[in-house]
Amino acid sequence: MTAEQVTQGLRERIGDALLESEPRGDRRVYMTIDPAEVVAAADELFNKMGGRYVITAATDRREKHGSFLVTHFFSFDDDDLYVILHANVPEDDPRIASITPTIPGAGWAEREMQDLLGVEAVGHPDPRRLVLPDDWPTGVFPLRTDFSSQDKPEASMEGAPQMTAIPEGAVVVPIGPYFPTQHEPESFAVFVDGEVVVGSDYRGFYNHRGIEKLGSSDLTYNQIPFIAERICGICGFVHSCAYCMAVEEAAGIEVPRRADYIRTIFLELERLHSHMLWTGVAGHIIGYDTLFMQTWRMREPLMWLAEQLSGNRKTYGMNIVGGVRRDVDKKDFPKIEKVLADIEREWTALQEAVPGDRTLTARLGNVGVITPEEVRELCSLGPVARGSGDTVDIRVDHPYAAYDELEVSKCVEDGCDTLARTFVRLRETPVAISIIRQCLEQMPEGEIRAEITEEIPPGLQGIAAVEAPRGESFHWVLTGEENRPERWRVRAPTYSNLQAVSTMINGDVLADVPIDIGSLDPCYSCTDRMTVIDRRSGQMRVMTREEMRNSRNR
Amino acid sequence: MIRDWLIKKILPRALWIYHVNCGACNGCDIEVLDTLTPYYDAERFGIRLVGSPRHADALVLCGPMTRQTAPAVRRAYEAVPDPKVVFAIGSCATGGGMWHDTYNVLGGADQVLPVDFYVPGCPPRPEAILHGVATALGLTTKEVKAMRAIQEGSDVEIEDLPEEQWLVQEQD
Repeated sequence: MTAEQVTQGLRERIGDALLESEPRGDRRVYMTIDPAEVVAAADELFNKMGGRYVITAATDRREKHGSFLVTHFFSFDDDDLYVILHANVPEDDPRIASITPTIPGAGWAEREMQDLLGVEAVGHPDPRRLVLPDDWPTGVFPLRTDFSSQDKPEASMEGAPQMTAIPEGAVVVPIGPYFPTQHEPESFAVFVDGEVVVGSDYRGFYNHRGIEKLGSSDLTYNQIPFIAERICGICGFVHSCAYCMAVEEAAGIEVPRRADYIRTIFLELERLHSHMLWTGVAGHIIGYDTLFMQTWRMREPLMWLAEQLSGNRKTYGMNIVGGVRRDVDKKDFPKIEKVLADIEREWTALQEAVPGDRTLTARLGNVGVITPEEVRELCSLGPVARGSGDTVDIRVDHPYAAYDELEVSKCVEDGCDTLARTFVRLRETPVAISIIRQCLEQMPEGEIRAEITEEIPPGLQGIAAVEAPRGESFHWVLTGEENRPERWRVRAPTYSNLQAVSTMINGDVLADVPIDIGSLDPCYSCTDRMTVIDRRSGQMRVMTREEMRNSRNR
Repeated sequence: MIRDWLIKKILPRALWIYHVNCGACNGCDIEVLDTLTPYYDAERFGIRLVGSPRHADALVLCGPMTRQTAPAVRRAYEAVPDPKVVFAIGSCATGGGMWHDTYNVLGGADQVLPVDFYVPGCPPRPEAILHGVATALGLTTKEVKAMRAIQEGSDVEIEDLPEEQWLVQEQD
């Protein structure tokens, strides 16, 4: 699919409702459509043309344009093309047809749009509250421009979400309600019949911190990379990098090649530490603490290396719009080589041991199955998708930073289960090592950041996608006035992957649920959290629906 | 203080901690985990993570207190039997961090619970976390060296202060 073909196809399907289509280079096409035809357009892009749904963003533009801007993003991975579908929804009737019945993976994004901007997705199959806390009053929308980031509205339990209907004969095992969680904290209610999971409900977004609001109301372009890095403590560099690339694309800033290489080195260092961390945590979840201790021991020199190169063990603080803040010196290369060689040696041994390890194959094989069709429908990403035969890997499909000059091999497995996802991560580790080595060899001399002398004009758009350890991290920036974005939308890969949990755990036994959830690498790494699941599910504490609701609402 | 007495007499040999994430980004959490792994090995001090607040002597809080987690953290705190101590790990738990005043964040952990000890940092290194806990337990002493840093333009001038101006907390 090229930009022209997409435009042509959409014009045939929705005719004059395609108000505007503007390709930017070969890799992006920005379209504006009539909101009445949004479902048809989404259906055409997703079902007919075979695009991948990325995310939905809504923007409050009432002040200047008298409307809300609702934007759906699609990607054509084989052709390195992103399609941006804008629709202007009038401010006096903020409603737009829901695309979730067509694209199940859009469910959360549309609920978030309802929560944060008050743009209703008409016909959404599950329009309950998703992001805002239970005691948030209805009718207060924090991402609207008339809401200040410091406002703290009075508590009210009116809009608190209720649990979905429990299947007949099933009992509820709460995993949560409070759950000390990390990147996407979660409270699962798992419905079981005997030992078998027959359904589940989810309440997450416990650590919604209002980062997007801060980015569009309080901070400046060059402050945001640091807050973006703290979206996630494991793969934060991915977020600051994606944000900077989105602004650079919007403003047309040319980044020096050396900065691209330095970014690539850190992205891969982060992937290494993240995959090693995950392998350890996965081992811990299934009670295999030897694996946990071993992989974390292997990982520690990597943290020291990151500290030597950047000044911090993580949250490196390297990125800034236009380049990076610190050079990687030639005299550090031998140190990097040494750490990589040590890790490679030990990792190869581990990688060879896993397929023959009966504990791992018995616990991980054939659990948490997600078929290629479900991957596509739910728009799963990263190792989850690649474990089910999907070949999406942003480093190859939509090259960014220095990846267009590097050799990256995709690691795809077709087992569709937790074991396959484990293999993907195990195999990606040596690939990351080889990428860092290529970077050290090929890195050109020169500047590390571009001089930016002019102010970035408002109304420009840029998108950036980065292959995080967990999948595609997607950022969209719409530039605004006062030296800050008008809207900055972040979609972390776990946002897509977590929506697949209920599909994955259905039909598994309760004891496998923790590793099923863990196999997404849902940006959590906390041991004690896993222990809680084990104990609670072990004790099978059953609550009635009423109790559950009370404990949630208390 | 009675609390200090309890901490130093009862808890130093085997402190069981329950780790609670109040809305953190993961950074502090994986450093807390890191203290358990071979290079740092918190268990040599008798410190271990437990799976239920009811088994714990201490709570370790990470992250800013968000509106949604606050009631649940309070319940976890109530579930810890007395005597108990609370550690706030990281800049966010200490004072709310860079989102201290956003619409969904109440501030640092002490907005909701009484916090006994703070270990700031973004994230604090595993050594810092271990040192913070060990200091609280009286396994080591707290030493603070005072210095003054002045930034003019891009240069930072650092000047050590004389020893009588150092702030050294007396241990008993």
